Amino acid sequence: MKHTNPRFFLPVFLTLFALIFTGMVVVTQWNNPSWQLGIGLGLALGIALFTTYFLAQKIGTTERYMAQFESEFSELSISNERFEIVSKATSDTIWDWDVKTNSFIWNKGIQGVFGYKKDQVGANLQWWFDKIHPEDSLKMSVKLYSYIAQRSDKWQDEYRFMDANGQYRYVYDRGFLVKDEEGNVVRMIGAMQDVTRQKEEEQRLRLLETVIIQNRDTVLITAVGASENAEDQIVYVNPAFEKMTGYDQAEVLHQSATFFFKRIQNKRDVKKIADALKKKEAFTLETLTKRKDNTNYWVNLSLIPITNHENQHTHWISIQRDITEEKEQEKEREQLIKELTQNNSDLKQFSYITSHNLRAPLSNLTGLLNLLEDIEIEDYELKEILQGFSKSTQQLNDTVNDLVNIIIIKDSLAIDKEPIVIRDVFENIFNQLSFLISNLNPIIKLDVDKVNTLFLNRSYFESILLNLTTNALRYSDPSRQLKILVAAKNLGTETQITFKDNGLGIDLKRHRDKVFGLYQRFHDNPDSKGLGLYLVKSQVESMGGSITIDSEVGVGTTFTITFKNN
Amino acid sequence: MYKKILCVDDDPITLMLCKKVIQKCEFSETIEIANNGEDALAYLESFSQKGITPTTDLPELLFLDLNMPVMGGWEFLDIITERRYNEIFPQLKVIVLSSTIDPKDIEKSKSYPMVLDFLSKPITREMLEELKNNNT
Repeated sequence: MKHTNPRFFLPVFLTLFALIFTGMVVVTQWNNPSWQLGIGLGLALGIALFTTYFLAQKIGTTERYMAQFESEFSELSISNERFEIVSKATSDTIWDWDVKTNSFIWNKGIQGVFGYKKDQVGANLQWWFDKIHPEDSLKMSVKLYSYIAQRSDKWQDEYRFMDANGQYRYVYDRGFLVKDEEGNVVRMIGAMQDVTRQKEEEQRLRLLETVIIQNRDTVLITAVGASENAEDQIVYVNPAFEKMTGYDQAEVLHQSATFFFKRIQNKRDVKKIADALKKKEAFTLETLTKRKDNTNYWVNLSLIPITNHENQHTHWISIQRDITEEKEQEKEREQLIKELTQNNSDLKQFSYITSHNLRAPLSNLTGLLNLLEDIEIEDYELKEILQGFSKSTQQLNDTVNDLVNIIIIKDSLAIDKEPIVIRDVFENIFNQLSFLISNLNPIIKLDVDKVNTLFLNRSYFESILLNLTTNALRYSDPSRQLKILVAAKNLGTETQITFKDNGLGIDLKRHRDKVFGLYQRFHDNPDSKGLGLYLVKSQVESMGGSITIDSEVGVGTTFTITFKNN
Repeated sequence: MYKKILCVDDDPITLMLCKKVIQKCEFSETIEIANNGEDALAYLESFSQKGITPTTDLPELLFLDLNMPVMGGWEFLDIITERRYNEIFPQLKVIVLSSTIDPKDIEKSKSYPMVLDFLSKPITREMLEELKNNNT
């Protein structure tokens, strides 16, 4: 103790005073026996008092020393411990830059975090700068040097730093300056943190955020009420919401979303939404609703319940898309389809009536001519006239029948199908065409037995082959003998029938678009009506098949018909 | 060979043709004629009013056109179905003979139990021969 403790001074003074007083009494009253006991007591008391106080003072000081030492010792150990924890836990890369020599020292982080090998790490400032992304390096160095010039306490920056693989990492770098006694900057020490993952997450979140902000669909988020009866509260609406609904953000935030759902005009839809909200289920609905200015719009509304980590339902996300335009187009389309369907059905009815009215007198003519066959006519001229009359009636009848067939084919969606053997059909056809065949004496080759049976409509299939055969006979080349080759083969999922002749052929360069058209004739033949191939195509297609043509004038024609195998 | 048949058609030429073809192939002894559904109905009514006995000379077959003025074929069929003519004339069968091509008409004709067949005009000898073979 360097200076006198005042608490120590007082007892010493009192004790000395007591001793002096006692001494004076001893000298003056030594022989007075009545004082002798008092002197002894006073001396003993003074000595006892001094000793006691001195000892007490001495013990208190030791205790304080002890406590102080202890606290200092523990602080030191904690800070040691902290230092150890920090140095173990830190993933920072520490660098030390000698400003005067520009030499640069990196700690092990440059290897551990950025993957550089010891010998790859440069020991100068330039190496550091070289690894900084060109887009960041100018801004970064300007900031760094202005910091050094200002001699501020702390520097921090974010930039991209190249790792050993040549990939740029986002780093957060903090540093401080070390100055000499004159205040000159001698070193700078920094700690670089790899924040690539945070940065990427941040960018991802920003991207996701732009989806919400930029979206033309409205996004509305409500927080679920704390108690069962508390109403949900709107916590977010995106800019599209203001545009679509006419309500601005300030108006609706912290309000319940109920007011908004109540603008939906169909009360049953409002109920549906309320039920979905109660059940906490995802929900989608298309409905007509009103903007703030009471104009109507169609909306596709989706409600999605959001839960937190504990699986508690915390929020609703409501997404709305304005589908007014689609709805109107849909309405227009429906109206158009309705009109077209009506028109089509009217036309169909009209064609039935017309064909009926045509057929009625025509059937009389046919019937009468049938009767005439049994009557012998002597007059040659009359006979000739009646023959012409009969032939014309027959042609008219054929035409009307073809047209009628087309109408029926186009009308019937489902047609009866049955197993068919191709060769049988041809035999039937050759019987019907025996007159024409015997005139032309063609070579007909049927290579159809590899296909057992086809499952098709019999009358359509007969009509198709009859038409093709008739065409081949009618339009044969008179300069050479007619050859007809029909081949059928199974291609797995479909059956292909090719019908090939060496007849006149059709100029496909001129007529390709019209070959299968209605009332198209390519040869001058009195029996031709221009209906056959149109009918063939209609019949093939009505049974789910397809037909193509290949033809060359003077060489012949090949039809390829394909039917799907069931 | 039928004893008596009834042809119902508004077209005199069709009727003439029917008569001639029926005569030629000896399809029926007697041919009665009605110009529309109402006439045919009146003809049938005349029998039930007189009272039907086993000897009554009832028509056995009826050729019926569909498109006729006053009362068409469908209406005629509806009425005789409604009035249970099948009970009064149990042997009466109907052949629809029409120029229609509407597939719905063919379907519809099948829904009447007394309709035997749907045939397309004109009436021919082959048609009658087949009918004879199948139904007598």
